[in-house]
Amino acid sequence: MTDGIIFDVREFTIHDGPGIRTTVFLKGCPLACTWCHNPEGLDHAPQVMRSPGGDRSVGRRYGAVELAELLARQADILASNEGGVTFSGGEPLAQADFVAEVIDLLPGVHIVLDTSGFGTRGHFVSLARRADLVYFDLKVMDPVAHRRWTGQDNAPILRNLGLLAELRRPFVARVPLVPGVTDTDANLAAIAAAVASQPTLVRVDLLPYNRAAGGKYAACGRTFLPAFDEDRAPNADIRPFQRAGLEVRVA
Amino acid sequence: MNERLEGLRARTREGHFRQYRQPGAPDLVAECDHEQLSWPRRMARLTRRMCEAEIVVIEPDERIVFTRTLRAVPPVHSPADHAALTVGQTLHEGGLINNVCADWELALRQGLLGRRRVAGATRSRMASAGNIEAVEFVDAAIETIDAVLALAARYATEARRLGRDDVASVLERVPGEPPRTFREALQALRLLHAVVWLSGHHHVGLGRLDQYLWPFLAADLAAGTLEIAAAEELLAEFFIALNRDADLYPGIQQGDNGQTITLGGLTRDGGAAVNPLTWMALRVARDVGLIDPKVNLRITGETDLALLELASDLTRKGLGFPQYANDDVVIPALAAHGYALEDARDYTVAACWEFTIPGRGMDVPNIGAVSFPAAADAAVRNGLADGASFDAILARTGAEIGRQVHERTAPYERLLWAPAPYYSVLMTGALEAGVDHGAGARYRNLGIHGAAAASAADALAAVRRHVFELADVDRAELLTALEADFVDHEALRWRLAEESPRVGLNDPAADDLLRCLYDRLADACEGEHPQSGAIVRPGTGSAMYYLWLARGRDDGPLAEPLVGATADGRLRGDPFGANLAPTPGTHLRGPISVLQSYAGIDYRRVCNGGPITLELSAAVFADAESIRKVALLVRTFARLGCQQLQLNALNAEQLLDARAHPEEHRDLIVRVWGWSGYFCELAPEYQDHVISRHLYADV
Repeated sequence: MTDGIIFDVREFTIHDGPGIRTTVFLKGCPLACTWCHNPEGLDHAPQVMRSPGGDRSVGRRYGAVELAELLARQADILASNEGGVTFSGGEPLAQADFVAEVIDLLPGVHIVLDTSGFGTRGHFVSLARRADLVYFDLKVMDPVAHRRWTGQDNAPILRNLGLLAELRRPFVARVPLVPGVTDTDANLAAIAAAVASQPTLVRVDLLPYNRAAGGKYAACGRTFLPAFDEDRAPNADIRPFQRAGLEVRVA
Repeated sequence: MNERLEGLRARTREGHFRQYRQPGAPDLVAECDHEQLSWPRRMARLTRRMCEAEIVVIEPDERIVFTRTLRAVPPVHSPADHAALTVGQTLHEGGLINNVCADWELALRQGLLGRRRVAGATRSRMASAGNIEAVEFVDAAIETIDAVLALAARYATEARRLGRDDVASVLERVPGEPPRTFREALQALRLLHAVVWLSGHHHVGLGRLDQYLWPFLAADLAAGTLEIAAAEELLAEFFIALNRDADLYPGIQQGDNGQTITLGGLTRDGGAAVNPLTWMALRVARDVGLIDPKVNLRITGETDLALLELASDLTRKGLGFPQYANDDVVIPALAAHGYALEDARDYTVAACWEFTIPGRGMDVPNIGAVSFPAAADAAVRNGLADGASFDAILARTGAEIGRQVHERTAPYERLLWAPAPYYSVLMTGALEAGVDHGAGARYRNLGIHGAAAASAADALAAVRRHVFELADVDRAELLTALEADFVDHEALRWRLAEESPRVGLNDPAADDLLRCLYDRLADACEGEHPQSGAIVRPGTGSAMYYLWLARGRDDGPLAEPLVGATADGRLRGDPFGANLAPTPGTHLRGPISVLQSYAGIDYRRVCNGGPITLELSAAVFADAESIRKVALLVRTFARLGCQQLQLNALNAEQLLDARAHPEEHRDLIVRVWGWSGYFCELAPEYQDHVISRHLYADV
């Protein structure tokens, strides 16, 4: 049996897929996006969040069976309400064996994989195969800029994006609109071009940057260094996607 | 909402109509003493003098009229006489009938003149039989009918004088004759209802409005004399009018006034009761956006999802309603407690959440509260001190619950209602039998709140886990820590609070104790046999006891036992959850597990009402797809077999800002315990509690 580290299990997560869902947040992420609003999901190890309201330990080790049992207790409710379980993070691909084992213990449950796409081919295939729907983040298409803003190369992400067609997995492209970083005309056009040819694309979601993103950094003992203009309204331009004939939503 | 309605709404919120208020109130004591009137005659005289003293107010843009101008309701006895009359008796909340619902269907169907004919027939019958008491009651009732008719006539005359023939012709017919149109029905209801308030009653429910008004609307629509939009406008005006005098209505906090409607559900013969007016009332309540009337919606696991979506769109407005009641559970529970099936199907929410039968119920649903935390705490402390087993602690908790139930119930052996001749006119069968509603109603049961159950279950679960199962907490240390309010025992407190099973997480290790507490409450209630033949209805509400049981009350001694620090790691004075809600501070996953935890209660045994209370982040209601998910959540509540649900949209940042800048948030409405109020008008401790509640899906 595999163990995993979870930083939260949240119910009624209305933005994490269809119907009534419960989202499992895996702890640990190989990317370090400067706009990340879940900094407690970055480190793999459990940690203590400190706030004036008191300390709270974040990150708990679960056995796959233990987590599956917790989720199975509400599986019927999720299924009868058009929903299911979403694995998010952090980055689920970073704990792929654990997530796969949990999913295998939940037969019949609708699964959404909410991923940055950054992971090995094997891990991505393993989880995407098990998912009914993939929420695939696309942030910055230019490799140099991607490395600058997330700390990692985007080649594995684009490779994994390309696998969705042969895996025949429907996916939603999720684009965080970070002012001056991801919301440039050139980047949005590049994203539109990258997904337009994907036969299993369901739609594109544009997610305007949330000013509260920096809120939890101090509690995690981190410093929020956005290095972009937080106060500028993001450019939620849907036209590049419309021109490509894609369904697009602004959250 | 057109310009006319916006104007009426704005003037209502601005207190514009208060300019008409009179400085004094009629003085009745001297007059009643001089005429040596009996108590029933005094109460009838009260209604008459109040009606006579009302000044007619008709503003140019009103179509449904009546504005209250009398501030206070005067006494009918001198304090000494009142004391002599009521010595040794229990007067519930002042002794004037409250927290019930009239038979509005009957009152509209017969009209006051029809009710007067019934009274006349009863009078003849009772006079021949020599029943002086009944004759006096009926005479008193007739006096009140005539008083209301005279008030309506004065309004009609003034309307005529002002050239408002539309208003005049309505009031020349109703409430004496049965209404013929939707407008006449609303006008009749406005006046009949307002005079209940004028007669000194409080928490005056409006019951199943979509049932008793639908025939009038249906007839208008069928005849083609009224369009849907015009009907909505009339209903909106009626709803706005209910807010006009609300500051005069007494309650624990402003807004707690019981002006409640109940929509949907089943008819008395078991048919589906949802009709076009059900939908219209939800739409209009949403568009009007004021705290009255509070809306209850009766649903089942099979209710049309579109209706639940409309209801969720009303929740989005942040008014704290609708509140949902699950017919699949409530009706069998009432039937199991002695309510005839057709009456059980006809239930309504009386004021906050208490189930009552329109026209037939004279239940007292709020004789007090059982403090589950105090019961559990006494058992825990005694048990720790004398080495009792956990089962013994649980048994002592049950005994303590029984003791509290008996203590709260005993005074109600001597329950006395002031005569209510006018309210009786509006009830089922009072005039027919010649007996006042307070004495002759079909259902005169008592109800008691089982309050703060989550905290008690948490405390018991923590003791079971740490003292008995893991044995990692020493009995003596726990006792000392409880006595010391955990001062110098922070590590122990943390362990109890953070490493114990808790209600709200769908964890059987806490939920079995929650169920057990309500089973023991039901046992205790079943063991009470008041001489009146009443039963004691166990309930799941808390009313304001979520604060009182933790801190006492400011305005006098608390009958219920106060509790200090508790074994769930709660400090002395920390408030409990309101109604059915997990203990504040519990690390919850979300509403599904909360509903699953509360689905474990055996609701057939608890029928007094009291909602699961969930606060959803206002951000949840962003679009139609999300609102649909809220509707699915409501349906899940029903399908899990829970009884009652209060779903609120809460914006925590807005609440904090409102506390800092009340002047900018004058219209901000929140659900408090069984009712909605303006946030800025609440006492600080109630504001704090609202802010501290669990917020789900804060995205």
